[in-house]
Amino acid sequence: MKIMVCLKQVPHQDARLDVRPDGSWIEEDNLKFETNSYDTYALEEALQTKDATECEVVAVSIGPSRVTQALRTALGMGADRAIHVQDAEAEGSDALGVAKILAAVARDENPDLIYMGLMADDGNFAAVPPMLAELLGVPHTTAALKVNRENGNLKVDREVEGGAHEVVELKCPCVVAVQTGLNQVRYASLKGIMAAKKKPLDVKTIADLGLSGQVGAASAKITIEKVSVPQKGGSAELVTGSADEIAASLLSKIKELGLL
Amino acid sequence: MGSILIVAEIQGGRIREASFELAVYAQKIAAATGREIASLVLGKDVAGLADGFAKKGGGRVFVADHELLANYCVESANAAIRAAIEASGADVILLSNTPSGWDVAPRIAAGLDAGFVSDCSDVAVEGGELVFKRRIFNGRLDAQVRVRSDAVVATMQPGSTEPFSGSSDGSVTKLDVSLSSDTAKFIETKVAESKGVDLSKADVIVSGGRGMGAAEKFAEVLQPLADALGGALGASRPVVDAGWLPHQYQVGSSGQIVAPKLYIAAGISGAIQHLVGMKGSNFIIAINKDPDAPIFEVADLGAVGDLFEIVPALTKAVQQAKG
Repeated sequence: MKIMVCLKQVPHQDARLDVRPDGSWIEEDNLKFETNSYDTYALEEALQTKDATECEVVAVSIGPSRVTQALRTALGMGADRAIHVQDAEAEGSDALGVAKILAAVARDENPDLIYMGLMADDGNFAAVPPMLAELLGVPHTTAALKVNRENGNLKVDREVEGGAHEVVELKCPCVVAVQTGLNQVRYASLKGIMAAKKKPLDVKTIADLGLSGQVGAASAKITIEKVSVPQKGGSAELVTGSADEIAASLLSKIKELGLL
Repeated sequence: MGSILIVAEIQGGRIREASFELAVYAQKIAAATGREIASLVLGKDVAGLADGFAKKGGGRVFVADHELLANYCVESANAAIRAAIEASGADVILLSNTPSGWDVAPRIAAGLDAGFVSDCSDVAVEGGELVFKRRIFNGRLDAQVRVRSDAVVATMQPGSTEPFSGSSDGSVTKLDVSLSSDTAKFIETKVAESKGVDLSKADVIVSGGRGMGAAEKFAEVLQPLADALGGALGASRPVVDAGWLPHQYQVGSSGQIVAPKLYIAAGISGAIQHLVGMKGSNFIIAINKDPDAPIFEVADLGAVGDLFEIVPALTKAVQQAKG
């Protein structure tokens, strides 16, 4: 069995976000990056399958050289191989461009199952997994909170409104976009990190994938613009001062509300 | 130029409010571009709902009534929507950002080689181009997304606009669809078990987020405040994902929706999924060290500072006031 896991590196969740002067995105130069939170659950799910059965886990990521770090971590956690699509031509791809790149990798790899996060912590588009499935002509589901194998098919509990779960059955190969909290993500052991250095990490270009001229900013169907810090639309009254002064202001409001 | 296709969604045997919000967005785009409006009502035994939608912004309503559309399933939904797009000649397709919408919409876009934008809170037409408004970085930043392709699929955030009011002219057409469930099957819906904690009954909820830092901090720092105020403890999603508190404490779109007299949010940034769960509260106090945290947009009273100093100080003040 082969599982392909798609990972994205995103700015660290607590990173200070400075908008570029042209409003096209944020300044990424001095930022710390981490693996997209949703994708860590995807990788963990693949590794749990590998713990239980004969399985090869291939981690895939697209991006500049810093992405190597994310892939080495994935290998350290237990993935068998990694593929790094590194090419300036991929920069500025929209979700469809990313899906095209991942589809090309998937056609070479022929996995039984593709796991990835429901969305990325930066763009929050939640677009790539269903697009990837459409391009590959396979079924997909999103917001997976439990995955079981049954008679060669996948039975997935997906999260819907109000905390309810919708149960769907998919034929493999398929794409499963996971929700956070699906499992408890493991840490890479020291032994795992050492072993990771010897595991294969292949670098591919856009030309290698036969996608020249089809991805990147020039092919993107949407443009992100006017990125800005939201205006304080609400009417929040901000209280300042020492902790005790703030506490006193809050207490006085609580009394006004008749709650004491 | 093609038409606009609204994909309506059925919930509890009726067309849900979010679909009537799509009608408002469709009207806005139609007014600015001269496009016609069409819609798709899909489900089982839903023909009776089509007329009502035609009169409330649905325009030319196509009805796809089929056993395999009784519950959402990606294979049948994808096929039905593609059939409606062809029948209506749509190049702007609108869905709501609900669990069904976010599941199928990107797939539709890829199949059409169209542009895609999700979870949008508004749309405008500038120089003939569609420009959508949405948030990025989990609600921390605003962004606009301009569509450069000929066709676009967009999901709109439920509750981001008022539903269609007044009445409109429309029509109803049956859409014959040939559907299958060879690769995907809906099995069942499991309703959330409500074990223990029913936050909807609490007058006061003291809720913590990722900013609490660790599981123990809930018992150490927040519980005393909740106790002093006679309230209940709550949590945002990351807290539950991290295993710090069980799911029954989760406030948000996939947890409990609450509207207490007082909601105190400590160390919660305010991602939309959480805001949806508590913005109906009578009074909201937010404590966060980040002045740009989205939670301050819904808060009535906010304190920018260290919750590990402010919350204990508040607990002490409340205890003293109670005597």
